[in-house]
Amino acid sequence: MYYVAETKVDKCSTYKCNQCVLFCPEPNTLMFLKEKNFAYVNQARCKGCAICVYVCGDLLKRNCVEMVMATVSE
Amino acid sequence: MGLEYVRITTGFEDYMPKDYVDLVKYGQFGKDYDIQELGTFKELVEEHPMCAGCFMAYFIRVFYASLPKPEDTIVIGTAGCARLQLSQAAVPFIYGNYGDTNAVASGLKRALEIRFPDKVKDVVVVAGDGGLMDIGFGMTMHSWFRRERFTTIMVDNEVYGNTGGQESGMSPKGVQLKMAPKGKKFDKINAVELAKAAGCVYVARISPTNPKRLAKTIKRAIIAARHFGPTFIHAYTSCNIEYSIPTEKVLEDARNREKKDFTFYEWMSDDVKNYFEQIESNKEGQEVKV
Ligand SMILES: Cc1ncc(C[n+]2csc(CCOP(=O)(O)OP(=O)(O)O)c2C)c(N)n1
Ligand code: SF4
Ligand code: SF4
Ligand code: SF4
Repeated sequence: MYYVAETKVDKCSTYKCNQCVLFCPEPNTLMFLKEKNFAYVNQARCKGCAICVYVCGDLLKRNCVEMVMATVSE
Repeated sequence: MGLEYVRITTGFEDYMPKDYVDLVKYGQFGKDYDIQELGTFKELVEEHPMCAGCFMAYFIRVFYASLPKPEDTIVIGTAGCARLQLSQAAVPFIYGNYGDTNAVASGLKRALEIRFPDKVKDVVVVAGDGGLMDIGFGMTMHSWFRRERFTTIMVDNEVYGNTGGQESGMSPKGVQLKMAPKGKKFDKINAVELAKAAGCVYVARISPTNPKRLAKTIKRAIIAARHFGPTFIHAYTSCNIEYSIPTEKVLEDARNREKKDFTFYEWMSDDVKNYFEQIESNKEGQEVKV
């Protein structure tokens, strides 16, 4: 069991920003969908460091990313 | 490599691994993405085994996304944490013995100039503070004295991270580490001034807090090395394990250090300055012959 990041896509898309994406230490993990203007997490690759939460929450006060418990899917 | 080797032979698209097809279709080869577009293209590193929240890992992610010509680049690394990711990229990687990186890079760069007289091949060393300023100190300095035309990037986590926390010449004075229980007795080595004195034509010190500036610095260091001589970047890339930094505070720590001893610093020779004034006003990234 471990935590991974999850973005609140509806709220995120209202800001038209990709700041958290620019600070994730993992490549090809925190992605940005240009057409819809939101960030999303490839959870199988997320290591749960929560740097994205710091960027979106502490720095930008937007609170659009949270850590959630990873679930196993077949 | 070269672009001609990256492309998939017609008819084989359906049989190549998906990650490879994605790299060619949506990746950096032959394209010039801005660092702000991260997250919208396929990156050169697939995955890596560095620790969660490691800012050295972050630096290397940005490093690969900033390469001016990944298809014509060779990266040299050595023992230490960085190579865990350096060896996972779709860019040729050579593992120099610990301490030998800058000797290996010197020979390689010279050989490439002979083998490909009409092409530019970028050679970049990425190694730790122990690898470059302690055990590899002689090789590093002599590559600069000889004005070898490649880039050296020191990913400075201020400790021997990969071997469990011994102090390095780059550890700050007074710091206590697992394998340095009495505290470091000497000051941090002034690597940037040494690089200038030894003949580097472009030198920068940076904390990875601003992706745009970081990408520009990496690009400049690589391009200046093509034409003028050795270039050096000293990057603060914290080790959250050995310095017990909670992962969610790693960027905050980098920002704090930037305000103290890792303020952004960039120095270049007059030739390099004139050259960048020319190409950067010319058109972003457009190179001119010197
Ligand atoms: C010739 C040689 N000496 C010693 C070692 C053991 N060794 C492996 S990694 C390392 C230290 C790495 O520290 P640094 O270069 O600062 O990189 P970091 O792991 O901190 O990123 C050492 C001493 C080795 N592999 N080869
Ligand atoms: S920083 Fe926040 S608002 Fe901006 S892209 Fe990331 S999750 Fe969305
Ligand atoms: S928790 Fe860390 S690894 Fe996961 S998406 Fe956020 S920054 Fe990336
Ligand atoms: S030991 Fe330190 S430098 Fe090495 S991968 Fe882990 S956090 Fe990064």
